[in-house]
Amino acid sequence: MNRHATIWLWRAASFAVAASFIALWQLIANLKLVSPVFLPGPDRAWASLVRGFSNGDLWSKLAGTLEHMAYGWLAASIAGIAIGAIIGSSRIMRTYVAPSLEFLRPLPVSAIIPVAIAMLGLTQAMALFVIAFGAIWPIMLATIHGFAAVEPRLYEVARSLQMSRLAVIFKVALPSASPDILAGMRLSLTVALILSVVCEILAGLDGLGHWVLLSARAFRSADLFAGVILLGVTGYVTSVAMSMAEHRLLAWQASQR
Amino acid sequence: MTTDQAKEKGKALILPLAVLLAFEAWARATHLQSDSLAPPSEIILALAGAFADFSILTATRDTLFSAFAGLAIGTVIGLALGIAFGISDTLNRLMEVTVEAIRPIPSIALLPIALIALGFGYRMEIVIVAFACVWPILILSRAAVRSIEPRLMEVSRALRLPAAQRVWKIIIPAALPRIFVAFRLSAGIALIVAVTVEIAINPLGLGAGIMLAQQALRPDLMLAYLVWIGVIGYALNILLVVAQHRLFGRAALSGDSA
Amino acid sequence: MANAAKRFEVIPGQPRPQIAFTEVTLQLGGKTIIENLSLGVRAGEFLCVVGASGCGKTTALRLAAGLYQPTSGRVDFDGQLMLHPRREIAIVFQDYGKALLPWRTAAGNVSLALEAGGMPSAERPARIEELLRTVGLPGHAGKYPAEMSGGMQQRLQIARCLAQEPKTLLMDEPFGALDAMTRQGLQDEVLALVAASGATVIFVTHDLDEAIYLGDRVIGLLPHPGRIGIELAVNLPRPRDQLSTREHPEFLRLRRQLFDFIKATEQ
Repeated sequence: MNRHATIWLWRAASFAVAASFIALWQLIANLKLVSPVFLPGPDRAWASLVRGFSNGDLWSKLAGTLEHMAYGWLAASIAGIAIGAIIGSSRIMRTYVAPSLEFLRPLPVSAIIPVAIAMLGLTQAMALFVIAFGAIWPIMLATIHGFAAVEPRLYEVARSLQMSRLAVIFKVALPSASPDILAGMRLSLTVALILSVVCEILAGLDGLGHWVLLSARAFRSADLFAGVILLGVTGYVTSVAMSMAEHRLLAWQASQR
Repeated sequence: MTTDQAKEKGKALILPLAVLLAFEAWARATHLQSDSLAPPSEIILALAGAFADFSILTATRDTLFSAFAGLAIGTVIGLALGIAFGISDTLNRLMEVTVEAIRPIPSIALLPIALIALGFGYRMEIVIVAFACVWPILILSRAAVRSIEPRLMEVSRALRLPAAQRVWKIIIPAALPRIFVAFRLSAGIALIVAVTVEIAINPLGLGAGIMLAQQALRPDLMLAYLVWIGVIGYALNILLVVAQHRLFGRAALSGDSA
Repeated sequence: MANAAKRFEVIPGQPRPQIAFTEVTLQLGGKTIIENLSLGVRAGEFLCVVGASGCGKTTALRLAAGLYQPTSGRVDFDGQLMLHPRREIAIVFQDYGKALLPWRTAAGNVSLALEAGGMPSAERPARIEELLRTVGLPGHAGKYPAEMSGGMQQRLQIARCLAQEPKTLLMDEPFGALDAMTRQGLQDEVLALVAASGATVIFVTHDLDEAIYLGDRVIGLLPHPGRIGIELAVNLPRPRDQLSTREHPEFLRLRRQLFDFIKATEQ
């Protein structure tokens, strides 16, 4: 009880500090220390958010970004886990294929964008390809690692139970690799959001990325900040959702130490 | 290197070589005419050409300058905040909401703000790179400072070292191996963000170079840039891993999972 | 002890052994781990295997489980050449912490064996409860292995093995990592379980007292490479009892004999 009270007190104090930063921002804006063309006050950014949501504009932009992100990320997750499982569960593949993948890992994935544009044009398909391509790496490499690190004893247990290959993958290898896989998926979530924004900017696809760019070009700084705040919220909410999913799925890990 | 290791490395090379050769053969057999693909031989020629007229070197310099400048600024800010938050639990708790509110903003979302405030050029790119680099450094250096052996902190208190000296002589050296891991991660991020900003909007560096090649319908040059960007990313990573080994030995690598 | 010195051989008219090693040699990584091992285990027999470290006792158990294939010679189970592990043979590993699925509860771990055996899901809960009760873990069904003590984890592993309804139970130093009190309790429970199920047991241990206390027969292996060095029949009355059995003159005699053998091999 006491501990809880302390935690909430700190939380409240921390919110108060954040609020005072916002107040400071408001003060700077009101005193016009920075040109209002670049820096709207929080009041104007808020008003723009409210206006954007009430007339539905921001909803559709937000939906667009979430859609790009979700499709790309889901495709990357499915493909990444499948390919990672195949490579990770085979010694031969690990020897011949995995090093090439490790070599490609430090490649800045956004560099693939021009190639994707050349192949697919400035289209939705291009965006999805780029997002999925960028998001697949952390998931795939984590899955390979997770599969390679399964306790060999568990494979022996599976063998002595004469479990089928499929059962071994679904009942032993996948759950055992799940902490690694989920960590990879969490990393990919951030990558997917960033690449969604970049693709929207480049290809003019409907979404928050395009919206902030248009607002900047038109010097509508309040709208611009509203968009950036919304992108921050998107990043925050998706990562919290992922944490909650991890927490639930990996409840067994909590008892391990 | 033992023969076994050499064999392993040899096996690792088989797949990429086979893919390249197959692609070359296929491109020649079909007399490939494409806006998006080019055979490896032409890519190599284009890369050589870009070296000969210094265009790719200039672009590399611009990208690396922006990336490193942003990395330096981000490291200084991230380290200062990380150490402060690591030392003072009060400060850390008070700033928690603020940090967690700003951190999830995707760095690239700041691009339009930086664009109208600073215009095209190095400055806007450096700001965005710096923003992206602050967070990993902050989070990891905070964790590093917190995990310093408490005995060491007691020693510094017993010696009555002034705060600044305590940071310089005790905290930074003790946390350095893990801080370097954070720096290595951030260096990779810096390069990625710099290239991404250039591809998205900023007309300089390797990112702009690859976009121009694409728009000029020069797939050979575009892929040459892609390969070169990959080489730089790889080389940077190797360089920092080697530096980490040299400076801190194997022990430091254990911080990698963070 | 005419019986004790006799090596296994197929004698016409005698019942066929359940597990038969015939001149088994195993080489791993260029080293001969086991050489020319011949051994028969009758159905329902409790065989204990002891020996100094490096004598290949765990390896012999893995051969019996079908996890390893011999380099030469053959291993038969119920008269059939053993080419792969089979569900009728359950193995209890020493490192219970690694052999349980950490993401499944106690019930889930037992269930794994039932799933592998194709039991319909509706029938599983009752069977799981019964098995957990049998090994003394009623009421722990919802716990994860990490939430259980070492002794409980090993009980859980035994429950999973019993879920296989094995004809043969292979145990690899199952109590090696447990404290003395837990160990004695589990010894008696294993004896009771085995008596109830009628399973054949091969029990590997480095504890000579444990081997004599549990077994119908004890085999001592010689190291480098592993081969049989001594074979003792244990003619102690059953049920065994921690106090009276261990004080039985026959127990002490066998203990002495085994002790001398091990001491000799270590020189």
